[in-house]
Amino acid sequence: MDAPTAFRQQLLGVIPSLRRYARSLVFDSHAADDLVQTALERALAHWHQFDQRRDILVWTISIAHNAYIDERRRHARASLVEPSEGFDPDASHPAPGNDIGLQLDLIKALGRLSLEQREVLLLVTLEQLSYAECAEALRIPIGTVMSRVSRGRIALRALLDGKDAMPPQGTLRRVV
Amino acid sequence: MNTAPDDTLLSAWIDGELPAEQRAEVEAWLREHPDDAARVRAWSADARSLRAALDPVLDETVPVALTQTVWRKGPALLPNLGWARLAAAFALFVLGGAVGAGLMWRAQAPVAGGAAASASGWVQRAAVAHSVYVPEVRHPVEVRAQEEHLSRWLTRRLDVPVKLFDLREQGFELVGGRLLPDASGPSAQLMYQAITPPGAASAAAKPERVTVYLRKPDDATPAAFRYEQQGELGLFYWVEGKSANSGPTGYALVGALPRDKLLALAEAIYRQDPSRP
Repeated sequence: MDAPTAFRQQLLGVIPSLRRYARSLVFDSHAADDLVQTALERALAHWHQFDQRRDILVWTISIAHNAYIDERRRHARASLVEPSEGFDPDASHPAPGNDIGLQLDLIKALGRLSLEQREVLLLVTLEQLSYAECAEALRIPIGTVMSRVSRGRIALRALLDGKDAMPPQGTLRRVV
Repeated sequence: MNTAPDDTLLSAWIDGELPAEQRAEVEAWLREHPDDAARVRAWSADARSLRAALDPVLDETVPVALTQTVWRKGPALLPNLGWARLAAAFALFVLGGAVGAGLMWRAQAPVAGGAAASASGWVQRAAVAHSVYVPEVRHPVEVRAQEEHLSRWLTRRLDVPVKLFDLREQGFELVGGRLLPDASGPSAQLMYQAITPPGAASAAAKPERVTVYLRKPDDATPAAFRYEQQGELGLFYWVEGKSANSGPTGYALVGALPRDKLLALAEAIYRQDPSRP
């Protein structure tokens, strides 16, 4: 059975937020939209698993998260550059201006956070998910959300202050 | 609080995740410890910078390929084998036996609406708001049509003139309206439903409803009068230009009606627009 119109409407409604989330994970806008597309396809294929009492954004973010992890695994052996390494702010020749410089520093710093910290920090600050929703989307305990947000904040600030004390990249877990 | 709150607690305070008592303790601590307060302010500023850097994505026009994906019938067209294998494993794991029906799906061409679904984000939000509130039986609107302040309230909040359009000639009466959040500010939804002929009142099924979504448009929104079909929903949208007494207003009329019927309603609204002389 195909997904009903109402479900498709709901999906349309979350596309802007999904695109922002994806952009914050992979930075490159085309790669980000490919990720959104993959997430939408998966959501449509599994629409009947969506419990209407849940928040569709949390559900689709969870799907996009898994898609991203899968993609990284798939490309791991193909020696894909990390998004943070692939993103070269100098290559984009920005117009002079304080804000743009600041944003590039910020995005660069963001890219150097471990994925675990970055993702939690983004879900809480950008998507404004509660810790409980964030825990649901990533299938991790609330306490873990809490400590990752906090460590992510500290690490981001340290990077922006020019201190470079990054913890090694943690292991990733796919949410099933 | 006698002992210093740790960073986890300070961070949770920023996110409003602490119970009232703990919150008060952290606030008391921050008042007396300017260094910690400065750190917390820096974290909050970083969060604002993150939003400033990435929020503009929300207002970008959604790529047509994505809206087409949403309207495509049948199973997703999997781009490559590795993906397909993973998807299959995922399906087997999660679905178990329930997947059988899925095998009968056939890929079909995208529906007609998909190809035209290039509207900007706010039009999508109009469609979503329609789908969310139209089925409501008890609380379809926030403020009922009878209340005089509806128009004044929405006008004040939207910063665009909100007129309660009279669509009775077209067979629709106003139910009321509500204020809705949009990506770049508030928007309003006016709901109308088909006037039921006397005598047929309670026997009739759910009355037909249409909604009018109004907002202050982005600069990027084209002023042209456009039509779009999304599944069973039809949408007319346009932007009324600036006039002597008001700025531009974006309109989207949404309803599961035949196109000509919806067009008659759109034209009635267009004629009654408050910015026209």
